[in-house]
Amino acid sequence: MLEVSTHPVGNAVVVKITGDVDLYSSPEVRKTIIGLTKNKEKNILIDLSQVAYMDSSGVATLVEGLQQVGRYKGTLKLFGLDAAVREVFELSRLDKVFEIYTTEAEALETIAK
Amino acid sequence: MSMRSKISSAAGNGDADYAQLQSRVQSLSSLIEVSMIISSTLKLDEVINLVMEKAQTVMRAEASSVMLINEETGMLECEVALGEKGSEAKEKITLALGEGVAGWCAQKGEPVIVPDTRTDPRFAKKFDEETGFQTRSILAVPLIVKDRIIGVAEVINPIEGQSFTDDDLNLFMTFGRQVALAIENARMHESIVEKQRIEQQLEAARTIQESFLPQQCPVCPNNRFQIAAKSIPATAIGGDFYDFFEFDEDTLGVLMGDVAGKGIPAALYMARLVSDFRQQAQVTRDPEKTLVTINDLLVERGRRGMFVTLQYAVLDIPSGCLKMTTAGHLPVVRVRGDGGGCEMLTSEGGAPLGVLPNLHFSTDIITMEPGDYLVYFTDGIIEAKNKKGEQYSFERVTSFLDKKWRRAEEIVDGLIRDIDRFSRDTAQHDDITVVALQWNKPA
Repeated sequence: MLEVSTHPVGNAVVVKITGDVDLYSSPEVRKTIIGLTKNKEKNILIDLSQVAYMDSSGVATLVEGLQQVGRYKGTLKLFGLDAAVREVFELSRLDKVFEIYTTEAEALETIAK
Repeated sequence: MSMRSKISSAAGNGDADYAQLQSRVQSLSSLIEVSMIISSTLKLDEVINLVMEKAQTVMRAEASSVMLINEETGMLECEVALGEKGSEAKEKITLALGEGVAGWCAQKGEPVIVPDTRTDPRFAKKFDEETGFQTRSILAVPLIVKDRIIGVAEVINPIEGQSFTDDDLNLFMTFGRQVALAIENARMHESIVEKQRIEQQLEAARTIQESFLPQQCPVCPNNRFQIAAKSIPATAIGGDFYDFFEFDEDTLGVLMGDVAGKGIPAALYMARLVSDFRQQAQVTRDPEKTLVTINDLLVERGRRGMFVTLQYAVLDIPSGCLKMTTAGHLPVVRVRGDGGGCEMLTSEGGAPLGVLPNLHFSTDIITMEPGDYLVYFTDGIIEAKNKKGEQYSFERVTSFLDKKWRRAEEIVDGLIRDIDRFSRDTAQHDDITVVALQWNKPA
């Protein structure tokens, strides 16, 4: 069962995803992220530390978020990826388009105060 | 009482029993007619109308209706209403489950006789008030398909007598079963027709998409290069593609890519991308510049998280020198023409196209030895699974390719056959595409 929650941290909003992100659950993730981008949320941090599996539809959801924030010069960064999820990004070279950090603190540091 | 005992008693017991028996025979023949109606048409409205007309006559009722549960709203909606105010009722009657006699019947899943609506609190007066019809007595039965309540059938006001009887109820329940069956048949038919319509559209889309792939590979008149290619989509339409650009007799462009996702969105994205690429290839032969421009175009119209990975190379045919760049795509495998091994040409390249603007791509220069092959493929090959769930993997690709080949075509066909063998008895999850290019020395 997938859970998606959001909470503000500093001048960013953290989207915490818990569970597998696949074809069935990614619409829930999309709803949250697109909701934030519609409000032109400046800095979005995606917490993937509780995600053990992500398929291409999950990746596409995050890509869409990145495309959307790009339209209003916002940022969308990822942190907490476990090895399997990181590999999904590395294989498709999407590690080159996403800013990926180990911890929330590291990701926060990169956001302009 | 069974039909047989009815007949024996009719033989000895007067006109009343005989009349009852006759009425039973009439009911039975009506039910047979209903069965014939059901098998004669698959149009939902038509079949329910015909069955209810028959039911109303046999039940000797002033009016009748069928209400079905709308699965989206959970409300009972009137599908057919016959009788004096039928057409008005059809438009106006919508009930929540539990509301009115029909709503009660749908909620409980039980048949009900309401002998006198004036004394039954379940009766919803508002429809009589709106239509001017006067409902005195109701017989309602649930319509049940595979233990699921799908609606309610009602007959209203017996023409003779004040109320419907238990015999009427038994007979009408039989009608109800027939109606439910007819609805189920018609719905199944509708869903099959709809499925066929979607399949036809997908087939048409696949044909259009295929028309964007080269109908045949370029052929070099003096045999300086050979190309073979094959793409097998997983669903009716996939996102893999390849293309060739014959700039002039000395320069050949080779493109292979994979749009993230499947189905019609991926096909449309791919079709537009291929046409953009063809246009851009007329502007420049520089792979890096081409990718930068295409990326910016795709980012500008990026929607729904779609993106593409690709390999693009421009071959100088006289020298065998290849300018190659990649956008997040799998490495190309170089197979030595003399059977002297194979290697993966991993290159820095750049990120997939269509996500971020202003990307840069590095270009690798590869010089081919005469007889060398370059083999391009998409991740459907690496990720093809066998029954144990193991992936075909890079290692299997390179170990399969590591031998002396005679023709590019042999590589393409051989690799696809090997994957087919590997993933026998499993469903193909992703498109599978292979392109093989061999470069030869001038004769």
